[in-house]
Amino acid sequence: METLLNPYYLQLIMFIIINAILGISIYLTLATGQLSLGNAGFMSIGAYVSALLTLKTGVPLYVAVPLGGVAACLMAAVIGIPTTRLRGIYLAIATLGFGEVVRVIILNLTITNGALGLSGIPSMSIMISKNLTALGLAAGIGGINVKQLGTISVILILAGILGLLVFFALRLSTSRLGRAFAAIKADEHAAEISGINTRYYKLLAFFMGAFVAGIAGGLAAHITFYIGPKDFAYHRAVEILLFAVLGGSDVVWGPLLGSIILTSLPEVLRFASEYREMIYGGILVTMMAFRPQGLISEETLRFWRKKLTSRPTTSKPGEIPRRTAK
Amino acid sequence: MTLAVEQLTKQFGGLMALSNVNFIVNPGQIVGVIGPNGAGKTTLFNLITGVLPPSSGKILYDNRSLIGLKPHKITELGIARTFQNIRLFGHLTALDNVLVGAHCRTKSGLWEGIWHTRTQQQEEKITRDKARELLALVGISEEESSLAAALPYGKQRRLEIARALASKPNLLLLDEPAAGMNESETDDLQLLIKKIQELGTAIILIEHDMGLVMNICNKLVVLNFGRKIAEGVPQMIQNDPAVIEAYLGKEEE
Repeated sequence: METLLNPYYLQLIMFIIINAILGISIYLTLATGQLSLGNAGFMSIGAYVSALLTLKTGVPLYVAVPLGGVAACLMAAVIGIPTTRLRGIYLAIATLGFGEVVRVIILNLTITNGALGLSGIPSMSIMISKNLTALGLAAGIGGINVKQLGTISVILILAGILGLLVFFALRLSTSRLGRAFAAIKADEHAAEISGINTRYYKLLAFFMGAFVAGIAGGLAAHITFYIGPKDFAYHRAVEILLFAVLGGSDVVWGPLLGSIILTSLPEVLRFASEYREMIYGGILVTMMAFRPQGLISEETLRFWRKKLTSRPTTSKPGEIPRRTAK
Repeated sequence: MTLAVEQLTKQFGGLMALSNVNFIVNPGQIVGVIGPNGAGKTTLFNLITGVLPPSSGKILYDNRSLIGLKPHKITELGIARTFQNIRLFGHLTALDNVLVGAHCRTKSGLWEGIWHTRTQQQEEKITRDKARELLALVGISEEESSLAAALPYGKQRRLEIARALASKPNLLLLDEPAAGMNESETDDLQLLIKKIQELGTAIILIEHDMGLVMNICNKLVVLNFGRKIAEGVPQMIQNDPAVIEAYLGKEEE
């Protein structure tokens, strides 16, 4: 128990969840086929806005984090309205440039404290621990001390947010909107001719991705106490994209799996931590060559669904499989 | 009338893809657009559907100008089309392709989709039922849950027609629907187009299969080098010397 509640592991779990949220943000933008590298930029906006609001104006955390998401969304409107006209690699380059611009601005503003970054950001776990102490749980419960309780509560909150976002993404993918997204991804021109306002839906997807990335940024800021412009540099943008490249971007489970693997991998391969970026590059090349659709594609899901549902139907011959039922 | 094209001109640099083309489509009519390759037929479709802006001239649909409208708006107004080179959403199922076609006739948005509200569920059910009817109409009910890309060529053509019909068009533009089909498939297609006409939809048909065109069109418009060289009922066109020379070839001495 004591080793399981090691602060190191707890923090790793938090990072995995934050990255999983970022994975969802890239999934949402990629759902319309938009290759955006701007999500690190949106994340930084969310992080800084939320951190500054709590530091300078004393706005409570639960208000500051969503406001960070809203700020990222507003920035997405500024950058998105001209760039959604771009496609493929051109959009990638434009959004990459956007991310760098945001980073350089943050580096040079006084309010963001330049290259030194912001420190002493109110921490979620400390805040919760304090509240728990106030509730008379200073001694902790069942051998778990109040500090750990605070961290565990944060993990539960993060997991709750992640769960909500997964639910959102799953429902979206089977709805009218999700079909429009998929159609745009498959063939934008044919989608437009089929009566879909492609520009509107591409912007919507872009906004949703930015909002979720902003939320992830805000959450990250209140977990790590410190944020600096370096945290949101180019490598971050690529890392987020890698979640989708490794896991696949067809279904929401893809980027989710990608983010879990890529966040825990460096920890598992501690000894190879210096080669982290090299391993990333290697993964990217290998995936492109052997499995460009990512680890989980729709076909993978279909395959497993068939495999898992075939057994119950053979044992109950009276039941007709849902897929073929008319 | 459903559609009126007046003095329609499209210039690509020095090339006159279409020049001063006029014709009208009356409700429920099948109008065939024929002409040699490069005559401007597909450009005509691209102008009507708003994919390309015309250089000059008018396109009136139900007495409303279509110029400057976005393609999805034009589809919403009731003009649907298929493509010469099939453009289906390959990794979506046949049914989903048709459901995408019904997009502009359905309303549920983000909120309804996430929470599966009662109106959303009703709408979804109605739309699915209608989509299945359309798949039955074009004769590919069995393939409902196969991926569009996995369908054989002829069925992909039919699916594309079903997707276009899902937007409930008053005017359907078919760009070489019989291309690459064998004789029996073309016969089936002819029946299908007739059926669609009976449902009250006007059709503009670009086609090289003269048998099909002569059989089902109420009127033909012949283009050559971007100009309309003839217009009239099929029998008349068949005997028009200009058409014979430009398109069907000169009769041997």
